[in-house]
Amino acid sequence: MSNGEYWNPILETLPREKLEQLQLKKFREIVAWAYDHSKFYHKLYSDAGLEPGDIKTFADIRKVPKIEKSMMRNVQGPDKDPFPYGDILCVPLEQVTEYRQTSGTTGQPVYQADTWQDWEYGTESYCYALYAQGYRAIDRLFVPFGYNIFIAFWAYHYAGEKLGCEVIPGGVLNTEARILKMQELKATAMGATPTYILGMAETARNKLGLDPVKDLQIRKITVAGEPGGSVPATRKRMEDAWGAKVYDQVGSTEIGHWGWECRYQAGLHVNEAFFLVEIEDVDTGEAITEPGKRGKMVVTSLNRYAQPCIRFDVKDLIQWNSRQCECGRTFRLLDGGLQGRADDITKVKGVLLSPTAIEEVVRDMPELSDAYEVVVTKKGDIDDITLKVEIVPEHQDEKDAVRAKLVDKLRVTTNLGYNIEFHDYESLPRSVAKSRRFHDLRPH
Amino acid sequence: MTQEYDIKGMADKITALRQNATELQELSVGIPTVDCNVTRILANVKMLEMNINDVAEVLGK
Repeated sequence: MSNGEYWNPILETLPREKLEQLQLKKFREIVAWAYDHSKFYHKLYSDAGLEPGDIKTFADIRKVPKIEKSMMRNVQGPDKDPFPYGDILCVPLEQVTEYRQTSGTTGQPVYQADTWQDWEYGTESYCYALYAQGYRAIDRLFVPFGYNIFIAFWAYHYAGEKLGCEVIPGGVLNTEARILKMQELKATAMGATPTYILGMAETARNKLGLDPVKDLQIRKITVAGEPGGSVPATRKRMEDAWGAKVYDQVGSTEIGHWGWECRYQAGLHVNEAFFLVEIEDVDTGEAITEPGKRGKMVVTSLNRYAQPCIRFDVKDLIQWNSRQCECGRTFRLLDGGLQGRADDITKVKGVLLSPTAIEEVVRDMPELSDAYEVVVTKKGDIDDITLKVEIVPEHQDEKDAVRAKLVDKLRVTTNLGYNIEFHDYESLPRSVAKSRRFHDLRPH
Repeated sequence: MTQEYDIKGMADKITALRQNATELQELSVGIPTVDCNVTRILANVKMLEMNINDVAEVLGK
């Protein structure tokens, strides 16, 4: 493998044994930093009877208490000092240069403080992703996203700049204007959510009479914010619609940009030089180190200092992949990307159901549009699932056959029966950001 | 792969960069443009340390 493949050939091909030594060294440093500079972490560790010096081996890492989103929220808020970050903050407020917040729909968000150095860490992490996906200085990136208080696509922009690419901010333009600007400027790459990538292609075809494959020059797409980039049927739809390679990228406000696909699209690489990802059994909390066994992710940002993220119980479900990627990186791969949140895997009619399994079925049927919704209700004591879909115009007269095929595929994939509702083409909600397609309306 | 690079040489230069930038900040005695530009330089030095110096230590370079 040519060194031209890697943003940092030293770290990305480091032997596993050395990589783990590096992770342990950095983990000890960030724990000591947080213990010394954050009242929140100091109390958390003191209450657990832990001092940073107690971490001597890789196995000792699991002695360190985990944190959850609710714990971050609890120390932050209007009456907390320093406002609004509270006791989790590790630096004087005057060193904070960036504010972002989580986009969760329930309750108070997590307020995320970054120094300029931490912001650079986010950019640098994203550079690993873009370089691995083949972005180079000759690329012209278009960002069809309204930059705002959320973290989404800021680092895509900054990392593009750092690689030397030409970056076009498509912020306040509407979808049609963004497509026309991409066409006018012959943009070669873009980053957005899977939903919006599909929605833009639909708008280009149906409202502008453009075929993105022939009329635009987008050849690389980085998607984030939803699991679609790692759902094979959704990825194929996006690649077919744009005539481009589509790469998944994962991260979050509190953690940073910890995982990405390389050009070989063999799964998500974890940037193990900058992040420590652990997998735990959802029920027992036991560590999962072997490939192929799904559990929830616990992650540490090894170089984020203003508001450290140490052993964060994210509740996303992941599993290690045993394959060695052809790219030659020693960073491990995850199979199937983020496989939903532990909270999202829900029992319906006594069967465990993952919303991404439904997405895979819908997006694998060319008779259906990209949009769909799932609604779970209760009729008496019995769970009831309704799947709302749209048939594309060229298959409108095949409703019965489509229904039969869909019901059959869903039963095989999810072991459940569904009410199928057909809605008019382009009538179900489209979204520019994260879309919520799964609605569990059962009383809890 | 790691044999092809002068990791120690790079790490030494990065350490010198930090030293130089820090001394520059001390010399400025509070000139805003110097202080703020040095802050940005040091953030990038930290990225170099994460990419090179940290691994140099692990590799015993």
